[in-house]
Amino acid sequence: MNVIETRDITYRYPDGTQALEKVNFKAPKGKMVALLGPNGAGKSTLFLHFNGILRPTSGEVLVEENLLGYKKNDLMKVRQKVGIVFQNPDDQLFAPTVIEDVAFGPMNMDLGTEEVEKRVKDALEKVGMTGFEKKPPHHLSGGQKKRVAIAGILAMQPEIMVLDEPTSGLDPKGASQILRILYQLNQEGMSIVISTHDVDLVPLYASQVYIISEGRIIKEGTPQEVFSDVKTIRGANLRLPRIAHLMEILGKEDDLPFEKPYPLTIGEARRKILDSFGY
Amino acid sequence: MFENTLDNYAHSNNLTNLNPYFKILLGISTMIVSLVSTSPVIPIVIALFMSILIIFKAKISWNFYLKFFFIPFGFGLLTFFFMAVFFGVGSPILELGLFNLTVTVDGFNLGFLVFTRMLGGFTCLAFIALTTPMTELFSVLELVKIPKILLELAMLMYRYIFVLLDEAINMYHTQETRLGYSSLKKSIKSMGMLGSNLFIRTWLKGEQTYIAMESRCYDGSIKTLKKNEDIKDIGTRNLAGLILFEIILVLGVYFTGNYGVLIL
Repeated sequence: MNVIETRDITYRYPDGTQALEKVNFKAPKGKMVALLGPNGAGKSTLFLHFNGILRPTSGEVLVEENLLGYKKNDLMKVRQKVGIVFQNPDDQLFAPTVIEDVAFGPMNMDLGTEEVEKRVKDALEKVGMTGFEKKPPHHLSGGQKKRVAIAGILAMQPEIMVLDEPTSGLDPKGASQILRILYQLNQEGMSIVISTHDVDLVPLYASQVYIISEGRIIKEGTPQEVFSDVKTIRGANLRLPRIAHLMEILGKEDDLPFEKPYPLTIGEARRKILDSFGY
Repeated sequence: MFENTLDNYAHSNNLTNLNPYFKILLGISTMIVSLVSTSPVIPIVIALFMSILIIFKAKISWNFYLKFFFIPFGFGLLTFFFMAVFFGVGSPILELGLFNLTVTVDGFNLGFLVFTRMLGGFTCLAFIALTTPMTELFSVLELVKIPKILLELAMLMYRYIFVLLDEAINMYHTQETRLGYSSLKKSIKSMGMLGSNLFIRTWLKGEQTYIAMESRCYDGSIKTLKKNEDIKDIGTRNLAGLILFEIILVLGVYFTGNYGVLIL
């Protein structure tokens, strides 16, 4: 089953700029899908269609195989199912304390106080931010803010989490903490969509990759399939993962026995090297 | 960043975990005593007591506290001067020799009283501001039935003032890097650009925040999870101490009621 599916959605901004053109996107249940694309390709715009913030100029959005409705009640239901974590945590964290911010979503779902407290506690535990309840967001680091933003969505217990550039602006440790949290959630059955231009991370975590460029999906498939089309990747202002690039150079320039498909992760590359040298 | 350090102190001083109701009750009631006092003695006692509390009990660095204290102190002196010169009747004790301005005993005493009341009141407010996190003030304000809409606005403002400050400081640094403040004329121009740019960014950020809130089912009112510290948690001992302290202060006001600095 697809938790989110878009069919031929086109979106034009009020000023006439075409942001999306006939985008078909599917996020299967329990999978982690990556949307890869350069800046300004339409990633964020596409995400805002998933929970009805933006309404497509043409085409349709399906959530759990039901057509998304744009009446107030329908939107409330959809926004409980589809949780979006925004790129800049300062846009999302508006409450004066961590606990109030994480409780914001569940409180809007009209849950009882006890249930809300339980969810907030669980969510903060999952992202490793227990003990920060009473801190104001401006006393947190970038990575911590991001984790609180994730907790704010987790507490609503959505069917799917959509994260816009979850690792942007974070230091390597902060970024890998976020990805580990996402990986863990995915293992527990949460469907996840992330947008990113960090090509090195994608093959490690995503099972399905979409490439978007100038508002169009230009490639989709498993990481192996997508990254074997080097021309399209480079045409979209992206690049191969570093390790794949290294293997490509070794194969082409130094006549070492490495051919397509190039390994995308360090683990794969290691195996391939060991194999070809007969270890 | 002054606001930021103030906020840091409020969140991490030795009295942060004291019941907020107690701190606010102490601050407000002492301030009222200071304001109704008819002699300068009690306000001075209050100012000293509160300062000692702030520096030695809450362990706020005295350096910061003095800087913080200096601003209202300056205003107070100014007020003192003007009241001494323009208020009061009776025989003059000092002639300024300018526009026939004179200082009378009456005016001098009144000015000094206002000055000390100001210091007393300010130290009480400083005590609250430096020891009680804003977030706890909000829950106290809610208890005294401040309209919800005002509280919501205050909460959002409190949260975003730091984001705004950050943006402003960053922009200021980038302008400075490109010599935007190298002369008075350029400074005025750069400052104007900074202001207008901040306004636009505020607008955009507001829109972004609204979208993010909408994504979490925002319906026009912010429902917050209440975990108020109980007013009963103040404890009998603290409460008794507080009441006793205020009674002593009021008695002090009563007995020193007619004191002035200058007596004729």
